[in-house]
Amino acid sequence: MNKKTALVICPGRGVYNSPELGYLAKYHKDQKDFIQKIDQMRGMGGEVTVSELDSMEKFKPSIHTKGENAASLIYTCSYCDYQAMSDQYEIVAVTGNSMGWYTALACGEVLDYAGSFHLINTMGGMLKDGLIGGQMIYPIVNENWVRDREKENFVKNKVNEMGAFISIEFGGYLVIGGEDTVLKKLMSELPEIDRFPMKLSGNGAFHTPLFGEISAKAKELISRDSFQKPTLPLIDGQGKIWQPLSTDINALYHYTLETQVCETYDFTKAVEVGLKEFAPDHIIILGPGTTMGGAVAQILIENKWRGLSSKTDFVTTQNDEPFVLSMGLEQQRKRVI
Amino acid sequence: MHNRAVVIEENLKACLTNGELPQSYAQVKANLQAISAEKLIEIFESGILSRILDLKTRELRNTGDSFYTIGSSGHELNAVLGHVLRVDDMAFLHYRDAAFMIQRSKELPRQTILYDMLLSFVASSLDPISGGRHKVLGSKELFIPPQTSTIASHLPKAIGAALSIPRNTDLKLKGFMKKDGIIMCSFGDASLNHASAQSAVNTAGLVSFQNIPLPLLFVCEDNGTGISVRTPDGWVKANMQFKPGIKYFSCDGLNICDTYQTAKAASEYVRKMKKPAFLHIKLVRLLGHAGSDIELNYRTQSEVESAEANDPLLHTATILVENKLLTKAQILSLYQQLRQRVDRVAKEVVPLRKLETAQEIKASLIPSGKLRETQVPVQKEVREKSFGREWKKLSNKWQMNKLINFALRDILLQYPHSLIFGEDVARKGGVYNVTHGLSKSFSQKRVFNSPLDETNILGTAIGFAHNGFIPIPEIQFLAYVHNAEDQIRGEAATLSFFSKGQFTNPMVIRIAGLAYQKGFGGHFHNDNSITVFRDLPGVVLACPSNGRDAVLMLRECIRLAHEEGRVCIFLEPIALYQTKDLLEPGDELWASSYPEDTKEMIPFGEMNIVDEKDHELCIVSYGNGFYMSMQAKKILENKYNKKIKVIDLRWLTLIDHKKLVSELEKSKNVLVVDECRKSGSLSEEIMTAMIENATKLPKMARLTGEDCFIPLADAANLVLIQTPDIVTKVLDMLGASDE
Repeated sequence: MNKKTALVICPGRGVYNSPELGYLAKYHKDQKDFIQKIDQMRGMGGEVTVSELDSMEKFKPSIHTKGENAASLIYTCSYCDYQAMSDQYEIVAVTGNSMGWYTALACGEVLDYAGSFHLINTMGGMLKDGLIGGQMIYPIVNENWVRDREKENFVKNKVNEMGAFISIEFGGYLVIGGEDTVLKKLMSELPEIDRFPMKLSGNGAFHTPLFGEISAKAKELISRDSFQKPTLPLIDGQGKIWQPLSTDINALYHYTLETQVCETYDFTKAVEVGLKEFAPDHIIILGPGTTMGGAVAQILIENKWRGLSSKTDFVTTQNDEPFVLSMGLEQQRKRVI
Repeated sequence: MHNRAVVIEENLKACLTNGELPQSYAQVKANLQAISAEKLIEIFESGILSRILDLKTRELRNTGDSFYTIGSSGHELNAVLGHVLRVDDMAFLHYRDAAFMIQRSKELPRQTILYDMLLSFVASSLDPISGGRHKVLGSKELFIPPQTSTIASHLPKAIGAALSIPRNTDLKLKGFMKKDGIIMCSFGDASLNHASAQSAVNTAGLVSFQNIPLPLLFVCEDNGTGISVRTPDGWVKANMQFKPGIKYFSCDGLNICDTYQTAKAASEYVRKMKKPAFLHIKLVRLLGHAGSDIELNYRTQSEVESAEANDPLLHTATILVENKLLTKAQILSLYQQLRQRVDRVAKEVVPLRKLETAQEIKASLIPSGKLRETQVPVQKEVREKSFGREWKKLSNKWQMNKLINFALRDILLQYPHSLIFGEDVARKGGVYNVTHGLSKSFSQKRVFNSPLDETNILGTAIGFAHNGFIPIPEIQFLAYVHNAEDQIRGEAATLSFFSKGQFTNPMVIRIAGLAYQKGFGGHFHNDNSITVFRDLPGVVLACPSNGRDAVLMLRECIRLAHEEGRVCIFLEPIALYQTKDLLEPGDELWASSYPEDTKEMIPFGEMNIVDEKDHELCIVSYGNGFYMSMQAKKILENKYNKKIKVIDLRWLTLIDHKKLVSELEKSKNVLVVDECRKSGSLSEEIMTAMIENATKLPKMARLTGEDCFIPLADAANLVLIQTPDIVTKVLDMLGASDE
């Protein structure tokens, strides 16, 4: 039987929240060896283990959403999900959003488990001593999830004018990074739409030039030698495809620790490339969490993929024969594992 | 087996499984100091993808989902050039250069090359380059303007584009190309024999011979065959090896290492020396010319098989395996993965939207929207200085050639990116002094002579326009344009259409033309056939009948080129260049002062209606015909007391029929005076427009030239309309006698 093909998406920060508490315990009992290794490495660094984080009685934003904890916790959940996928799927490419790029590297075996952990934990803990800048999020789609070009141009012009940066192109949303004062002013000038503009508390100005120092530090801490060629095509935050045989490891290292740290992470383009260049039967979004689905749907609509042109279309398709399978959603998870 | 696509694919797979790879290149050592193993593999991947796309398009053809199957099989290693050249080096590609484009896409993030190319194959309106109008290789982001398949017609423009790079620097202008960029232009061995190719090669040598910078890389992909005709062995080399001014490089297009090394050396030579080079790549053609071409009709089975045994993908596989960069199993797996990828993407693409209406298709005939801001007029002092002693005489009565000369001076001042070139336009100032003094004032960088080759003149204009210039090429006589018309018809006119307006080549082609001139005689200086311009969709054809109109229409043409990216042809009636008088010597009714306000123009499409209350007949005409009609009007009024209305069409293409018909309907009698031939002239269009659209058809007739070429001396008058003919015809139509 022919396998179904899938584009795998690794989620970024902010996907492990209260409903996800206990995710590892609930879904990944059979991967205790792997989780244990992560725990050990965390423990050796004097950090609270991912198992402990996952098994706390209550979700505590002050603990769970801190970079130094959230990154490793999310990575562990996502990677375990990746391992749990049924072999009825042929993975044709892997991409990720923001921090999810590091998980994608792990899925593509660019780094082994220790190297992956080191990369993720190091990058996650970079802001331990204090945030650099901040991030906010703002929608550029209408209520039908259709891109509003006028609004998009308006926001982007504002961002430019005021010296902020597009941190992430996230489907129907722009994640904007910059100095706190700049973001505050920008937020006061953007028209309110529901709960937006929304500050992403605890986040730094990821993927902006403000992270130049972080990049330099990362290159000191993370060795190029830990990088290998991927075993699967990877799609980065510029929409570039890293083919297994032709990947230049130096270039991949440079992209990972410099380019994407200091420049816009274009998740929208990454997914578009995944769709158009690999034409998968499904998109599988690794867990934890369910917040990536909307952005992915908005990208599908933007590209009119398989005729989808509105939120209603997407919802109908998902109800009938889902194209996007989110492992963070119980119902869809069943189809993947 | 006749399906060679299947044979080639099966052969490749067999060699990678149980079979043997060909051993011709087994000893080739990859110089990994010069190029990384990963880059070699990446280029190989581009070649494989190109091959699979060829196979896929044939499969899609069989199901009626693809239409034009000309492919790149055998030429896959042109992908090397996609890496060696920079993305900002503009590339005018051979239609067999899919691998080049795929490889270039990898040098720039954010590309969806596979999807985009398949959209083009299935003629989907979503195709990002042509919007489903043609299978073309092209991309705005990748700096690859789409080329149509008129053989070698894309070579002359490469000259202009290459000239434009240093010219922008010289003139301190900001073009679209980088200062250290080069131009690449590729074509096949058979194309090299084409007049257009010879024009380009000759001009490149001529330019370089004079030490004028020309950063141009010709790439001749020599597969030894033009459809079914063999190129004699050694011909390309013999032809090109010792061309003055052009450095010859040669490589084996089946050997990835040799191709890389040589292509790199050639491109570095061009970039560093700013001189043209000719890169001769010897390779094979697989799968025939196109899908409909059955090679076995003109090649023996063994010849076909011999070419297939030289599959560059297999030779590259050998080199990669022997250098221990990949294993056969890895290559097979790579091939299979890419094959499945192409199959899946094709499945998604096939049902996508196609062009649905004629209106939609025509939408890109002309670029949409305003491409550039209105150019600000220069200060009066600057103009005064440039015009010199003539500044104070602008209000005198002048004839057309002088007025155009004034207008061109103002245009060169106002549009610093405008250039004038053609035969004799520089020091001589043109055969009719239209460009007199301009080269001296603006330097030979902006007003310069061209070789005696109209294909080159028009191609150069197209190329310059690709880099932000507004070229104003001059064709010395209308008859001379015909050998070069494809540069307008097949190239300039089509660029916007095949690129959805993403690429434009705005220009104003000045052509001295039409008949009636007394000085020179004979056909070649009195050509009265303009039909060649009249069926070019989107092209503006302007034909002023007097000096004042010429100035105001020329300004409008330049504005159309600058702001809207339009291709304009400005047809100047030679016989009226020196004409000042209408009825009798010294009346100066056909002379005028120079309209000094450079903002004053005649909008495109606006006719000149010389109305007359209670007129009995309306004459519609243009050019010399309008001049003679105005003479006839005076005679008819003065001698016969007949009131005549006369219309000068001025703009001879894209005529608003509704507007014209509603104007002509106002008259009881309409005479079309068309100085061109009876067959194929504008008069046919006007008569047809009236018959098709008029609610009440007036009495109509036409006067035209004979269907004849123009003879020498006074005999010319016998085949051309004369003023008395118009008078007689009008009287005849009005039932009056010519007493």
